[in-house]
Amino acid sequence: MNMHTADAVTAEESIAIQERQAAFDSKAATAVAMQDTLLTPRFYTTDFDELDAIDVSSVREDWDKLIAQMVSDPNKGHFKKNEDWDHVDWDGMDPTLRKEFIDFLISSCTAEFSGCVLYKEMKRRGSNKDITQLFQLMARDEARHAGFINDALREAGVAVNLGFLTQKKKYTYFRPKFIYYATYLSEKIGYARYITIFRHLEAHPEHRFHPIFKWFQEWCNDEFSHGEAFALLMKTDPKLTSGGNVWWIKFFLTAVYSTMHVRDHQRPAFHAALGVDTDWYGHEVFTKTSELSKQIFPITLDIEHPRWARGLKRLQAANADIAEAKERGGLSGWLGKTWGSARAAAAFVSLYTIPSVPNRVPESPRLEPAY
Amino acid sequence: MGLLTKEVERAPCTVEISHKFESLHAHVRFDNGAVIYPGDEVKVQGPEIMAPFGEIVTEQRMATIFRASKLERLWTRLTGDLEVMELCEFSFSDEVTL
Repeated sequence: MNMHTADAVTAEESIAIQERQAAFDSKAATAVAMQDTLLTPRFYTTDFDELDAIDVSSVREDWDKLIAQMVSDPNKGHFKKNEDWDHVDWDGMDPTLRKEFIDFLISSCTAEFSGCVLYKEMKRRGSNKDITQLFQLMARDEARHAGFINDALREAGVAVNLGFLTQKKKYTYFRPKFIYYATYLSEKIGYARYITIFRHLEAHPEHRFHPIFKWFQEWCNDEFSHGEAFALLMKTDPKLTSGGNVWWIKFFLTAVYSTMHVRDHQRPAFHAALGVDTDWYGHEVFTKTSELSKQIFPITLDIEHPRWARGLKRLQAANADIAEAKERGGLSGWLGKTWGSARAAAAFVSLYTIPSVPNRVPESPRLEPAY
Repeated sequence: MGLLTKEVERAPCTVEISHKFESLHAHVRFDNGAVIYPGDEVKVQGPEIMAPFGEIVTEQRMATIFRASKLERLWTRLTGDLEVMELCEFSFSDEVTL
């Protein structure tokens, strides 16, 4: 009998099964001509020695609890299709919605996949047991999420192509602290995004146009734990969240929030089908993320400031103009792009310079998912 | 490694691609312990590798590593950080209007 990772007792075992097992179920895959989507994850390097030098002894108690919880893998049986996975009428779906929803799935799948590549690389290049174990566990979760989304895509007739390995790919570089700020926020905002949609659809099931949303609650609990791990990592070195680094934290908060705003506004049909007003959704997600990030960041953004909503709108408009100018090409396209970029930069500066709200960080950062 | 010149080296590697419901991943491990630095480019030789759905494929291949020049490595270290927003789930697709 083939063991499913869900039957594994320990994380190591679960990963070993993933690596060992080869069940053969390719008939369905080759039966239909599928639309091919080449997954294009990015490849990163960082200062692996710095990462390896992290000492978690100052947060040992919280750390061990969190790792034990991740090792016990409460979600191991969750990512399976069961009778709750309703039939999806892909052919009957409005073409615009279909396009936006598939884009949503592909970008989510790519992000999970890239996270997996990054975490695995950190695991492989390190020798500090605490750190390598954490990254191995997170790589496991990300690969599992990617597999689940991939399955939803297959149902829609979209085949993910992993052929990127045989293409030339460049490795870029991130400083470890930027990885902490960006991935911490990305995991926490990911949690806030998934749970906000999940709660909304609990109240309005008529808008649930695809069964994958039913899985969002447990899914986002994985994101939540990953965020917790990064909060603890940052806690090990007080310098990371004080002094000049507070300006970096503010930068990342502003950049992550405004990127999300711009991206979400590119999917109007998707949000309309969910019955969600994009601005309301953004505000809701920012409020939750800010509340969570108080566990480790000494500031939050003032998203109630009148300049905030205005700045986001300006950024969105500039971004749409840049895209339109790129499309146009030629000299007028170049001019349009330059002008758009200048306006986008000005909008970002306006957002960045809104005074932040100071916050007293608690002694222990640990939180449980509560939304 | 020169300031402006690139060097090319070959390294044996193990490629593992999982195209399973439980796990979608693809990893390359250099069998000779070769280490990748910022700005380096890597290309696995040979035809495209794709695991059929439900399978894990592991293959031994040769990889070509195009080493970045000193200048390029420095440049990547200085500017790579600018791309850090890619780590967010919602910032991957390039299409502004779908």
